[in-house]
Amino acid sequence: MIQFENVGFRYGNGPDVLQGLNFEIPEGEFTFITGSSGAGKSSLLRLLYLDSLPTAGRISLFERDLATLTRDEVAWFRRRIGVVFQDFRLLDHLTAAENVALPLRVSGAREAEYRDNVAEMLHWVGLGEQMNVHPPQLSGGEKQRVAIARAVVASPDIILADEPTGSVDPEMAERIMQLLMEMNRLGKTVVLATHDIDMVSRTGKSRLNLKAGTLTASGDAA
Amino acid sequence: MKRNSLIPVRAGSGLLVTLIVAAMAFLACFAMAGALGATKLAGAWTDGLSGAATVRIGAEETAPEEHLDIVLDILKSTDGVIDAEPLTEEEVAALLEPWFGATPELSDLPAPVIVAVTIDPLNEPDTAIVQARLDGAAAGAVYDDHGEWRGRAASAARAVRSVAIGAMLVCAIAIAAVVVLSVHSGLSAQHANIATLRLAGAEDRFVSGLYQVRYFWLGLCGGLLGCGLALAAMYGFNAMSTVSRALPALQPPSYWWVMFAGIIVFVIMLCMVSAGLTVSGKLRRGA
Repeated sequence: MIQFENVGFRYGNGPDVLQGLNFEIPEGEFTFITGSSGAGKSSLLRLLYLDSLPTAGRISLFERDLATLTRDEVAWFRRRIGVVFQDFRLLDHLTAAENVALPLRVSGAREAEYRDNVAEMLHWVGLGEQMNVHPPQLSGGEKQRVAIARAVVASPDIILADEPTGSVDPEMAERIMQLLMEMNRLGKTVVLATHDIDMVSRTGKSRLNLKAGTLTASGDAA
Repeated sequence: MKRNSLIPVRAGSGLLVTLIVAAMAFLACFAMAGALGATKLAGAWTDGLSGAATVRIGAEETAPEEHLDIVLDILKSTDGVIDAEPLTEEEVAALLEPWFGATPELSDLPAPVIVAVTIDPLNEPDTAIVQARLDGAAAGAVYDDHGEWRGRAASAARAVRSVAIGAMLVCAIAIAAVVVLSVHSGLSAQHANIATLRLAGAEDRFVSGLYQVRYFWLGLCGGLLGCGLALAAMYGFNAMSTVSRALPALQPPSYWWVMFAGIIVFVIMLCMVSAGLTVSGKLRRGA
């Protein structure tokens, strides 16, 4: 499903932030991307959610080379990918519910079709009472959960999460992990970037470890 | 569930666009009214003059009365002439009244003899041929089918119409320009939100559509405001009896509201198309 072949990436004319990446993530896999800050985890995810193209090598997603996609195809691919951004990227002028509904509205669904789904998703992340609250009135952890609900509401094939437990207390972190594991059990491919090695070890899922933009280890965390 | 626009409405900018669109729509209405009025006025003048001609027998002629009979014979035997009658003294006096005051003494004036000629508008006689016949039989008689005046009226109407169309074009360009500027500034201000929409899978046309909806409403409000004010101003203008008497051709006909509705529709389309193209272009350039 996700295939990297000798992938390299740099921002503008800067130094390589990723280089020589070769790996494959099969469909339905739960994969951690680990590494210290600046190792290139977020840049790798950025390539996966099609925000940038690699400056070297080839990335295949859903059996398609990402470099060959048209603009409309890029949009269509993005709808099949749910992303939890490290900085949440919630729209402040929308309510929590509207933020969660964003991928559905963008894909052309009508409100009547998704209203219940959005409410259920917000209850699922424990924010059923804050549906009509705007992001500036939410705590960091609550924003994180809204972002997670938004990432999964459209039932994407792939869920990408960049440090999804970084802004929450341990109890909520555990709950978020359970949510993502549940999505994985439902058949979704989950790719999660984190520097929390303990959490990776506890789950026993496979991981890709980055160091200075290169892959240093891959395989089961255990 | 509450449903807000995915693009936040920035207070102030929308009002400014609406007011500028309203001002341009207002001017466009007056330009269109000017074009229509000039066309109508020129039409009224040329209609009034077509079907009529005059023959003037100069007062300097030694026997204008003798010439008159010859002229009438020639005219009545000319194909396309329906009738030819000399003006009475009273009628000639009425024509001279603006220059010489009421009841001028014609016997004291070298007034010409005027023959009013009624011609068939569908079969107008050739001016040059009529004049040649008059020259041969009654020297000094001048045939005038008002062609020069009609030509001047038509060219004046064309000039006014061209200026009015130009003014409407300028209004359209101004509306498009203000929409483009406003959309550019909106896209810059909303860069992060639009990036989020696109990462959520929004296609370019979806984002364009959001702006088109927004500018549909701004265009509608601006168009209604501008055209409404223009219509009210024109009816108010024509309610003043001095104006309506002096320029009857500029009185609003019953179908003007249809034309104003057309301007509103055009303004809305212009706003939507300008916004849509600006967004698409900027997104393609990587905004």
